[in-house]
Amino acid sequence: MHFPNIKIPQKLKENKTTFIKTGIFSAIGACWGVILIGTFVTFN
Amino acid sequence: MDVFLPIAQVFVNPIEILLLSAIVGVLSGLFGVGGGFLMTPFLIFMGVPPAYAVANEANNILATSVSGSTTHYLKNTLDYKMGFMIVIGGSIGTALGIYTFTYFKGIGKIDTVISLAYMYILAIIGTLMLVESLGEIDKAKKNVVERKKLHVHYWIHGLPFRMRFPKSKLYESIFTPILIGLAVGFIAAIMGIGGAFILVPAMIYIIKMPTKLVPGTSLFVTIFVSVIVTFLHSINYGSIDLMLVVMLVVGSIIGVQIGVKLGEQIDSSGLKALLAILLLVVGIVIAYDTFFAEEIKKETIKVLNQDLNFFSKFIKEFSKDMPFFYGLFSIMFAVLLGIGAAFIRRLLSNFKKKYFNKTPQQSK
Repeated sequence: MHFPNIKIPQKLKENKTTFIKTGIFSAIGACWGVILIGTFVTFN
Repeated sequence: MDVFLPIAQVFVNPIEILLLSAIVGVLSGLFGVGGGFLMTPFLIFMGVPPAYAVANEANNILATSVSGSTTHYLKNTLDYKMGFMIVIGGSIGTALGIYTFTYFKGIGKIDTVISLAYMYILAIIGTLMLVESLGEIDKAKKNVVERKKLHVHYWIHGLPFRMRFPKSKLYESIFTPILIGLAVGFIAAIMGIGGAFILVPAMIYIIKMPTKLVPGTSLFVTIFVSVIVTFLHSINYGSIDLMLVVMLVVGSIIGVQIGVKLGEQIDSSGLKALLAILLLVVGIVIAYDTFFAEEIKKETIKVLNQDLNFFSKFIKEFSKDMPFFYGLFSIMFAVLLGIGAAFIRRLLSNFKKKYFNKTPQQSK
């Protein structure tokens, strides 16, 4: 039996650090986004 | 089972407060950071008005820093001379902070200012901690050894009036610790935190004190700053609620001990990223609370109007009739609790050494 997508989990493993980093930077971005937009909206 | 706080005028669940302060205490003991910048937001989430959360957390910090500082005093890991120089700046900064606090309270914006200060400080610290921990992961992976300069000089090192600090083996301008103290005192007065997250890096990287003297001296400075903050908040606004302080102090002192013990057994450097994420999450929740949930909060506060029991009445009248003595009493109360906790810890440690370390020798 042939699984054409078998490489996907391997690729996920290889790029684990990249995914973690992307997640962390998105979290930082989301936090600053909420704070800055909230401040801007409130003070206007 | 909810308890009514006579000064803060809100109902709180004592078990929740004890548990939360214990959890924050564990984090504080584990990572070596003060719990103030986590506990004050948690108190705000539980319905305690920000101005009261700040004042009572400052009193709690006083008890925990007295406890920690007593331990360092017994170990002789304190630089008093440097500590007093920072305290001079800290006193001026605290007075300026209380003045700013009074200004914003006067125009009715103090709750917003405290929330804004918290969300920005938490976001900044969380971001810096995450970036630092990511850098450490990268370095460990690539096995890079970073070469650092032996002495990095900033403008602050060129200031006049130099003085010798024999214990730290330093020859430093008196303005360096005074300026650092000024910043710490100002932030402590507005936010109800000890300021260790500024003081510790500043002592290591700017003053260049020996690392073993840093925690003790930082706690020593925190005692004076939190005494001034507690006293000024008490006489100006009568916002110290001893019922809340007792719950906070008991929870945090137990939590810190557990955290320190845990820290000795596990490597907490990997968990630093998790703490940073927690700070960011708390920052987002404060932002949501400030920008979107303000109206619900105001309605809840209006409903509260209850008859008080004897103890609550006593605290309220004592605070109202004799604010000066109430302030002094709050300080003495926190100091005694802190010293008591340090001596109990020492007794328990001696007891453990005496009875539990003997067993293997006897079996030989």
